[in-house]
Amino acid sequence: MSGRLPTQTYHEIDEERIDFEYLRNKLKLKQLEAKKSLSEKYPHVEKFLLEKGIELGKIREHSANVLGAGALTGALLLSPPMGTKSLPPPHEIIEKIKIAQAAQITPPQEILVATLTDHLPEKTRPLSRDEEKYLERVFNEIMGVPARATLEGEHLNTTYGIIGAEQHLRRYPGDTIGSHKPYLKEGMAPGLGAWGYFAKSKTELTFDLEEKEKWYAVVQTLYLPDWSRRQPHLKNWYKYRKVMIVNTKNGNAVIAAISDSGPAAWTGKHFGGSPEVMEYLGGPKYKKGPVIVFFVDDPENKVPLGPVEYNKVSLAGIPIERI
Amino acid sequence: MSKLYYDHLIVLDEVEAVIKRAARSQEEKEELWKVVDETLHHRVMGKVLDKLPREHHEEFLDKFHASPHDENLLTYLQEKIGENVEELIRQEIGNLAYELLQDLKKKK
Repeated sequence: MSGRLPTQTYHEIDEERIDFEYLRNKLKLKQLEAKKSLSEKYPHVEKFLLEKGIELGKIREHSANVLGAGALTGALLLSPPMGTKSLPPPHEIIEKIKIAQAAQITPPQEILVATLTDHLPEKTRPLSRDEEKYLERVFNEIMGVPARATLEGEHLNTTYGIIGAEQHLRRYPGDTIGSHKPYLKEGMAPGLGAWGYFAKSKTELTFDLEEKEKWYAVVQTLYLPDWSRRQPHLKNWYKYRKVMIVNTKNGNAVIAAISDSGPAAWTGKHFGGSPEVMEYLGGPKYKKGPVIVFFVDDPENKVPLGPVEYNKVSLAGIPIERI
Repeated sequence: MSKLYYDHLIVLDEVEAVIKRAARSQEEKEELWKVVDETLHHRVMGKVLDKLPREHHEEFLDKFHASPHDENLLTYLQEKIGENVEELIRQEIGNLAYELLQDLKKKK
């Protein structure tokens, strides 16, 4: 026994890249098998869902529509959401922040963590517009970053979710892991980011593009309800769009550029971060955790990518990693 | 957000790693993600209905249709089935992962 879990047989799968067509056929066969089995065993399920105008295979789209409609009407969830906390009027918390800042007793990061702990649900979920507006004001007041949940009418499917560690992206043809120091152990993603190479060649890689790969974010554009319908506008709009990612556990925040689409919904994660982003958010061992992701309203491109250094003081017991 | 009531029970990291290695573009990756996702929904629904007494099927489907994201569905299923539903779903997803990876291993 090698000590591997039964499902870790992927170690034994050819180290070479599996042929895409082969993998697709295998997965498709499994999909058809599962669909056929359910339909034969429980024909009333298919009938029921068809009458409702949905397919089980597309249930995520339906879920996005249900949640989207709930958020718009303020109802958020059809049943009472778990972990709902009441929000104090924004002016109250802003006043509190101003007093604490004036007294210079409590570091801003500590104020932010306390505010997030008090007002966010323990488990991640889509936030209501009121909750998002509230956080926009808090971020602006404490960090001075014009962060927006909705920008130019665009909104992610969720702004409060789980981020996972991603690998480096190839910036130009021939790019190697050795040129992504100091974070080498994360490796290079086998494929390209959703927008392809950052530059056509090494000589065309500017400092700005280098920074975009270094501080990149991954968001689930593929699950946006209108993603396919509003092309190419949405693809262009999201390309390198600046977002602020806030670790809700320690208040560390980073400005990143959206450079890839994902992760798959079934990974349980909602966002991804480059090795540099993850290091700053939670330190070298940080692989996954709850975050807030808002767009940055920066039409004049004045907000730089990288750490939001609104506080130089470490919270007791929570290291603030510096790169 | 495209949340489902059993999302937190899904562990398919190994399948994800294989897909990442195989896909040559974002489009290919997303296509494979969707195929796995759809398979998963059919398998989980099948397992749930296998255990749920027939007289509750329509009621469950109604609730699922109204709020597919709602984790209270697990509580509902737990009450009607009387078994650890989370564990049942977890096992079914584990079985699917194992089958997929075994299939791919056979290629060697």
